[in-house]
Amino acid sequence: MAWNRSLVAAVAITAVVPLAATACGRSTVSSGNTSPSSGLVSTTRPGTSPVGSVVWAVYRDVNSLDPIYAFDYPENTADSLMCESLLRQTPDGALVPGLASMSQPAPTRLVFTIRPGVTFWDGHPVTPTDVVYSLDRDRDVKLGGYYVIIFDRVRSIAVTGARQVTITLTQPDYWLPEQMASIGGIVIEKSFAQKLGQNYGTPAGSIMCTGAYMLKSWKPGVGVLAVANPHYWNPAVHPLVRQILVKGVPDVATLTAAMETGAIQGTYSYGLSTLDQLKSSRTVRVYEGPGWSTDVFVVTSLTGVLGDVRVRRALSMALDRQGIISSVYRGAALMPRWASNPGTFGYARGIFTAAYDSSPVLTQNISAARQLVQAAGATGKTLTIGTSSELADVTEVTGAYQAAAEAIGLKVRLDSVSARNYVDFYLDPKFRAAVDGFPAIPYGDWADPVAMLRVFELPAGVANLDNFNDPALTSLLLRERATADPAARARLIVQAEKLTLQELPMIPTVQPVTLLLLNKGLTGAVASFAYMFAPWADSLGGT
Amino acid sequence: VVLIRFLLRRLVMLAASLLVASFVIFAALYLAPGSPLAALAGGRTLPPSSIRVLEARYHLNDSFPVQYWDWLRGALHGDLGVSIVLRENVSTLIASRIWTTAGLVLYAAALIVLLGIGLGIVAGLRPGLLDTSTLVLTAVAAAIPAFVAAIMLILAFAVQLRWFPVIGNGTGFLDNVRHFTLPAVALAVSSLAIVARVTRAAVREEQGRDHVQTAISRSIPVRQVIRRHVLRNAAIPVTTIAGITVASLIALAAVVEVAFSLNGLGAYLVASAQDKDLAVVQGISLVLVTAFVVVNLIVDLLYVVLDPRVAAGGRAR
Repeated sequence: MAWNRSLVAAVAITAVVPLAATACGRSTVSSGNTSPSSGLVSTTRPGTSPVGSVVWAVYRDVNSLDPIYAFDYPENTADSLMCESLLRQTPDGALVPGLASMSQPAPTRLVFTIRPGVTFWDGHPVTPTDVVYSLDRDRDVKLGGYYVIIFDRVRSIAVTGARQVTITLTQPDYWLPEQMASIGGIVIEKSFAQKLGQNYGTPAGSIMCTGAYMLKSWKPGVGVLAVANPHYWNPAVHPLVRQILVKGVPDVATLTAAMETGAIQGTYSYGLSTLDQLKSSRTVRVYEGPGWSTDVFVVTSLTGVLGDVRVRRALSMALDRQGIISSVYRGAALMPRWASNPGTFGYARGIFTAAYDSSPVLTQNISAARQLVQAAGATGKTLTIGTSSELADVTEVTGAYQAAAEAIGLKVRLDSVSARNYVDFYLDPKFRAAVDGFPAIPYGDWADPVAMLRVFELPAGVANLDNFNDPALTSLLLRERATADPAARARLIVQAEKLTLQELPMIPTVQPVTLLLLNKGLTGAVASFAYMFAPWADSLGGT
Repeated sequence: VVLIRFLLRRLVMLAASLLVASFVIFAALYLAPGSPLAALAGGRTLPPSSIRVLEARYHLNDSFPVQYWDWLRGALHGDLGVSIVLRENVSTLIASRIWTTAGLVLYAAALIVLLGIGLGIVAGLRPGLLDTSTLVLTAVAAAIPAFVAAIMLILAFAVQLRWFPVIGNGTGFLDNVRHFTLPAVALAVSSLAIVARVTRAAVREEQGRDHVQTAISRSIPVRQVIRRHVLRNAAIPVTTIAGITVASLIALAAVVEVAFSLNGLGAYLVASAQDKDLAVVQGISLVLVTAFVVVNLIVDLLYVVLDPRVAAGGRAR
């Protein structure tokens, strides 16, 4: 359901790429990596020595530190640095206890027991009241938070013991525990938040969380300054960096230069146009970690030329994915076999990996694709692609889809809008009425292929813009949501992935990997997409 | 008395420009597609109930005249409103950034005035190799947009030579100067070249005037002729072009601020306009319009000082 946030990020990140291209020229030496898991690391060697100060770049300034309004890369990065959720996703995507452990005495009852000794930065213990307050804030429609929808199967959330909170469900929901290991599960201090009221999480106010790094100050335009928490509740974690400044750096050329000179010591990214330059830098080390996002072609209309599934399959078949991996991602993306990124296999990995590896890579086959279009009687029909010529990456991906469509006998019309209005393709039905689809980079909130599939395939999914409704897929996903056994869930998802590739409610383009850029003097940051949802600097320190 | 009336008239004009500008900007943003909720929600699909709550909180459903009147009434009472994105007072947000932009523009203006005019005078007075090379260099420099200059300067002086930092504002005056040098040069370079060329042309033209030739032929010391007759007369067109370029820096600063990650008003204005954060856009626009008007006022006052024939309120030819 978080898919559209990434689109905004893509918009902002790619908007500045032309600048970088001016500076460094284009290099396309990297080639795509077709093997899904080779060379990807989830973690980096833990830091060993103390570090004074680290500047960490995000693609724009942080807008809010209130987790209920955390919706995009900058806010997630800042919140996950300092705040912790009830449960936690490890860098590999596994679900483990966080501030609390969870048991499930009945399919519709989730019992969270707060770990002993867990305290907020101010030393106050985390109580069940704080937990209930935090979750109630999440689902309070009046606050206008973004996580209301994850509680759609919740009947009640109540204190049921000295250290215990129980969530009662209207029907079984095995997505909710995962969400409690994401931004929606962050616990804040009730008395502190109530005192601040509307100012909680704003530059004028502050926040009160539990993490190993605590908020010192937040000056808009300068950044969010976090300092090591000397009284962190978990004795196994010793924050080594005295202070971390999370700073908005919108310009890729600036970011690259600042990384090279050491003015910025770390950042997370994907599909960076200056990747080759950074990889050969003497000061920067580039880590490639599992990604949870997928670069896709969102199908917005099943009434036009893409209404025929054979045309969707043909378009997917004719696409030059290797070219996109080289030119847009500079090699930092994988050829897809499924709609979901293999980085999302957070559990039942054996089942997922075996099924994934036995699925064919989506390679190019133009002649077969052309025959499909002919069989569908769609030759000569027009495909309208929503795009933005202001966004270099979107333009390149659009170009690849245009070439594919023309190669199989379709006509192509481009509907180009401004960078900022690009978001309106899925927000505004009037905008997307004119197009058949557009490129985007959605991701899910937890390491599970279903986290993304459901938003495209369930009838009420927020990314289901074409009113796609396949009873078989819907029933698979709903059964998966209500299934307790992880292995059984994984097998249902495998079926859903296979069906997804048959039906193509969206067309997977490529699978981005997570890029961690780190100054060579530093090590220990999380290298997978899990950084968006769980502390990523707990082991960060000097080499 | 003439001067006071002149100043009063300009003050009224300033108020009028601010009012017109605020109305035009407010209307343009109001009419532009998209909603601040899209920026707030990052494009997420919010539950309809949340949307209603947010719309009510930020008065997004009020009609245009009502919204504008609310804003104007607040502004007249010194309340510039609250940023929707950051939920912070606009005046606080502007105050934390204004010195970055002011410092950058002043630094660049100083470079333009000192180096641009200096170079122009030297080139104008001393034909030869120096003059020729100045002409060639300024022709190239005048064509370099600020964002290209920024990238080239960063690559050369920050990444390769490591003389200057890439990003940030620095702390303390000397550190500030070090951090602002590359941005100021990037901002100034094309205007500096133009000012140098205009200065050179003006000096040349004045040198060829009859009264200058006459003065020289009457063996009045050259130094005196240059100061009294050449430079003084050349000062009028030079002031005009320097005034225009310095005023335009205020708008150009946004590009340089983004390139160097400076927390200035220009970069913030761009981001806020994209987010449709109306109160912030209005607040910054008022500051920028005021600065623009003030720079022009200073130029007009300079005319009066330079050429007494120019009546205050009139404009030099």
